[in-house]
Amino acid sequence: MSGEEYDLSAITGEGSCDSGVPHGKALVRFAESVLGEDEIAVASSRQEVLDKVGPEGFVDAAAVVATFSTVDRIADSTGIPLDGMLDVMTVDMRTQIGLDRFSSAANTPRPGTLKRGLSRILKPVAPFGMKIMLAIQGKPKG
Amino acid sequence: MSEITYESAPVTVREDICEAHQRAWKRIAAPGTWWKGRERVDIAAETRNAFTCNLCRQRKAALSPNAVEGKHESVGDLREEVVDVIHRVATDPGRLSKAWFDKVRASGLEDTRYVEIIGVLVTVVSIDTFCRGIGVPPHPLPEPVEGEPSRHRPEGAKPEGAWVPMIAHGKEKGPDVDLYQEGRHPNVGRALSLVPDEVRGMKDCIGAQYFPFHQVIDVRRKRAISRAQMELIAGRVSALNQCFY
Repeated sequence: MSGEEYDLSAITGEGSCDSGVPHGKALVRFAESVLGEDEIAVASSRQEVLDKVGPEGFVDAAAVVATFSTVDRIADSTGIPLDGMLDVMTVDMRTQIGLDRFSSAANTPRPGTLKRGLSRILKPVAPFGMKIMLAIQGKPKG
Repeated sequence: MSEITYESAPVTVREDICEAHQRAWKRIAAPGTWWKGRERVDIAAETRNAFTCNLCRQRKAALSPNAVEGKHESVGDLREEVVDVIHRVATDPGRLSKAWFDKVRASGLEDTRYVEIIGVLVTVVSIDTFCRGIGVPPHPLPEPVEGEPSRHRPEGAKPEGAWVPMIAHGKEKGPDVDLYQEGRHPNVGRALSLVPDEVRGMKDCIGAQYFPFHQVIDVRRKRAISRAQMELIAGRVSALNQCFY
């Protein structure tokens, strides 16, 4: 939606983990180690992220891991479906990175032909639509 | 009651995160909407305990959690079905199912109490995960506060395609008219709205740790790390939790 290109396979761990995001490998390792049980790995990963993104970035990285540990549990324990526009816009991406295999995919109705078609039509224009919407909103405050 | 502090952390923690966590800890201890303070702290303790439960470990390793029978190792006096909810949501959220939820409801646990359990649980998981991330020990749980729950069931909460009723946009009424006042909330921001105070609490924490819900869509927003870096972390965490949403 930002118009930038990244390798999404880093999310599911099936690619080279070179997502194209600066310090992406270190950040992915950090997420994995915080959620894991290897104390040596998490200590090493903390230092790596601290060295690469600095103390404020390190705190933000930990906060994001914490946030999505929350969000995931809320979503999966309440059975919420994907939001309408997000559902339409991410049909192909979800298949591409294999999200459809997760059990919680059952909470969102499977896309039919119409939704798949709409997704393909909207996908090329989504970044422009986002830019227009954000321009209308104005610059973010703070 | 001792307050949460990050003074001993190896890095300086943003004041807004520290303050949000302090408020969260006070909320856990206080009487809730359906559970008393003592019970909320018990839920918090059981959340932590879930991660060392042998039954949960065996289930997590099994092809299906339903393939492993047994009894959870619990630490308090919560009912067995409450302990099962806490342990399953804490340790294996990606494999929860509507069939499991229906069984939970059939056991007699009200949807309101269920939602409040989730609210307390995710607060503890969030703050404990943050502590692990920055390398400090988990905070001692707060001392419970006496008092009666409010027992407020929002009028506007209706079935909306999820397992629990939610308040739709534009249907916030009476004391809950503030719930989505900042702007449009995604489904995950409304998921706990059967117990509005849990939405308020969750928003407080997530707003400090990530972004307020109504700002998430603005991809220009970032913190000390870039938005792309934040979303990479978020995506990897969600993939590890097997969360489709």
